Amino acid sequence: MFKTACQEQLLPGETLQHKWEFAQEAGYDGIELRGKGDFHFRDRLPELRRAKADGVVMPTVCVDMLHFFAAFDSDLRRDALAQLTSQLSVIAELGGVGAQTPASYGMFSRRLPPFTPPRSAEQDRDVLLDGLTRLGEHARAEGVTLFLEPLNRYEDHMVNRLEQAAELIRTVGLDSVRIGIDSYHMNIEEADPPAAILAAAPYIGHAQVSDSNRYQPGAGHLDWSAWLGALDSAGYDGYLAVECRLAPEAEPAEALASIPPFLAARAGGTVR
Amino acid sequence: MTLPAAPTATASPAAAPRAPEPSQRAGTGGDLRRAACQVLLGNWTGSSTVPSHQLYPHQWSWDSAFIAIGLRHLSPVRAQQEVETLLAAQWGDGRVPHIVFNRAVPLDAYFPSPDFWRSSSAGAAAGAPRTTETSGVVQPPVHALAAWLVHSADPDTSARRGFLARVYPRLVAWHRYLADHRDLGGHGLAAVVHPWEPGMDNSPCWDGPLARVEPAAAGSFRRADLVHGSAADRPTDLDYRRYVRLAAEYRDHGYRDAEAPHSFAVEDPGFNALFIAAEYALARIAEALGGEAEPHRQRAAALTEALVERLWSPEAGQFLCRDLRAASGGRAARDGQGGRLVAERSAAGLLPLVAPQLPRPIVRTLLRTVSGEHYGLGTAVRLLPSYDLRGAAFDRHRYWRGPAWFNVNWLLERGLRRHGEEARADALAAEVLHAAAASGFAEYLDPYTGQGRGARGFSWTAALALDLLARDAAGPKPAAAEAPPAASGPAPRIPAPAPVPASEKGP
Repeated sequence: MFKTACQEQLLPGETLQHKWEFAQEAGYDGIELRGKGDFHFRDRLPELRRAKADGVVMPTVCVDMLHFFAAFDSDLRRDALAQLTSQLSVIAELGGVGAQTPASYGMFSRRLPPFTPPRSAEQDRDVLLDGLTRLGEHARAEGVTLFLEPLNRYEDHMVNRLEQAAELIRTVGLDSVRIGIDSYHMNIEEADPPAAILAAAPYIGHAQVSDSNRYQPGAGHLDWSAWLGALDSAGYDGYLAVECRLAPEAEPAEALASIPPFLAARAGGTVR
Repeated sequence: MTLPAAPTATASPAAAPRAPEPSQRAGTGGDLRRAACQVLLGNWTGSSTVPSHQLYPHQWSWDSAFIAIGLRHLSPVRAQQEVETLLAAQWGDGRVPHIVFNRAVPLDAYFPSPDFWRSSSAGAAAGAPRTTETSGVVQPPVHALAAWLVHSADPDTSARRGFLARVYPRLVAWHRYLADHRDLGGHGLAAVVHPWEPGMDNSPCWDGPLARVEPAAAGSFRRADLVHGSAADRPTDLDYRRYVRLAAEYRDHGYRDAEAPHSFAVEDPGFNALFIAAEYALARIAEALGGEAEPHRQRAAALTEALVERLWSPEAGQFLCRDLRAASGGRAARDGQGGRLVAERSAAGLLPLVAPQLPRPIVRTLLRTVSGEHYGLGTAVRLLPSYDLRGAAFDRHRYWRGPAWFNVNWLLERGLRRHGEEARADALAAEVLHAAAASGFAEYLDPYTGQGRGARGFSWTAALALDLLARDAAGPKPAAAEAPPAASGPAPRIPAPAPVPASEKGP
């Protein structure tokens, strides 16, 4: 039985409490937070504590920065590790389950000039394993999980498919590192997304949803029944966190409210 | 806020958790559903589903229909594609081939392989596809029923994709092929011309008709079914040589029914019962498309009448096969109908229970026969065996000579429900689900012990379990979707339209 969450920036309202009112009304079970850099997320702790005290359910945080733990530049890499470490601690304090990050985003694509990355695949791998180990150890100490999100080939050149993330996680050997899957990226990268979910089943820890065009579920052409059916068959019972843009023709509040019932219908009763 | 501890250089390797095997998970309804979905997702090839990757690595005709019936609960789009890809391999004369070969699979993975059938060349005159290789024989026409049920699962998606509008003309052509080219007896029923056609390949019903067929030379071909299947469960070599002879003869006559000698020609009650159910489903599809339903209902009624006239045996208390090539003599007397009834009891003779307009006295007799000494459902066995428990040829393990099959039992469950036997249908559905779970979705079962035989993770077993689970979840039972309830009079009549349960209603 899945639960649904909506990323905070999509929800109307000035405060998390207001956003939560809307989210509950629309049928969501939680809010996915966004973690900006410069310890902005840590600095929100007073606001987040108040929200928690007021009953806002905040299970996860998705990193919202322009550099990531596998950056080419060692200073940026160090900072990303520090930011994510802090975010894992904050989400742990809030009683959440974990933080999601890609290896990188917008740093390099093998499909765009100059086509050849400045770092070798072996060096990439060393950096990935080092970062995942550090973050995974910290997550374990905090009792939460780090979710590694494979992105499509135009946004990241290192981890594009679930099997790549699963292989890294097996090597790292920590239960506190899992895959954070994203339906949009999977649609581009996986030959058979439902089969990829089943193949990676034991390693999936979190799921973000948006349709084939990055708009809200239902606005594109993904086979949601098969995707959600596979996720349920994989034994996943966590959140489906909405991370998307809203189709331009849609009225935002209506579009957001359409998502939980849409997912429930497509999941055949396996969405709460 | 704490900073991280220094990372350890070597993390201990975590034991890689594994997804449990289907049979280990299938304890509760939710677990069974998940396990069934795993089978169907695993056997999906991108546009259709293989019955089993090892034993049956291509697309099979009636398998695809039963698979689609379950797949509609997992992915209506995939279920539609399952039907569409099969029908895309339809021949110009309307036949839907029993196998559509996957060109990526090696030739020696299955026999008879594409180089035996040679459909694109040998079948050219009959309109075989030029770019897809298929077999030249057919399987029971359950496809229109599948198409209607698939549509009913998600009418919006079906309408958006134009599913019914695209498959309807092909389904009509398929039924027309059976009516125009396969009425070899001349009295309105479709005949099968190979034991593979009725789907129950190795049934003792074919022993007599097959005995007249000269076997192909030993060593002239190599079976692939024995690589993955136990020889004790599969057809004998002698039977296989006769299968090969019949298929080669058909091929060498260009698969043209008017010219082929058809030394094997049988009217099978199961095949024709599904033809009837499918014709009623076509009526529903025609209605949904704003077309004419009545001709389909009339054909279904005529088929029902011919079925009763030609294949009903009051002495046996069930329908029997009619061997169209039989001369006089033998255990069953000639009856002026051409050929003679085969004195073997197969579960195919109970499948007319899925025909909605069966005369009530016949329904009552069939319902008694199901639980009687020959089938023992609910007393001697928990699932309907494929053949007479007391028959001389009964073999609890050998392919279609006794074992229980899930599609047959799913059809019986539907038939019981159609005729108001709700309690018996509920009990059978529960047994089917239990057996599917316990056997890891086996291809078939020992009818006495319930022990699984043949392939595991078999697609239609998983699909039909999923369908029965969905019925449980939905509450009201949908038996009467494609046709009105049974008539009470003795003669089959053209049925009037009847209410359709909301769960399977068209647009």
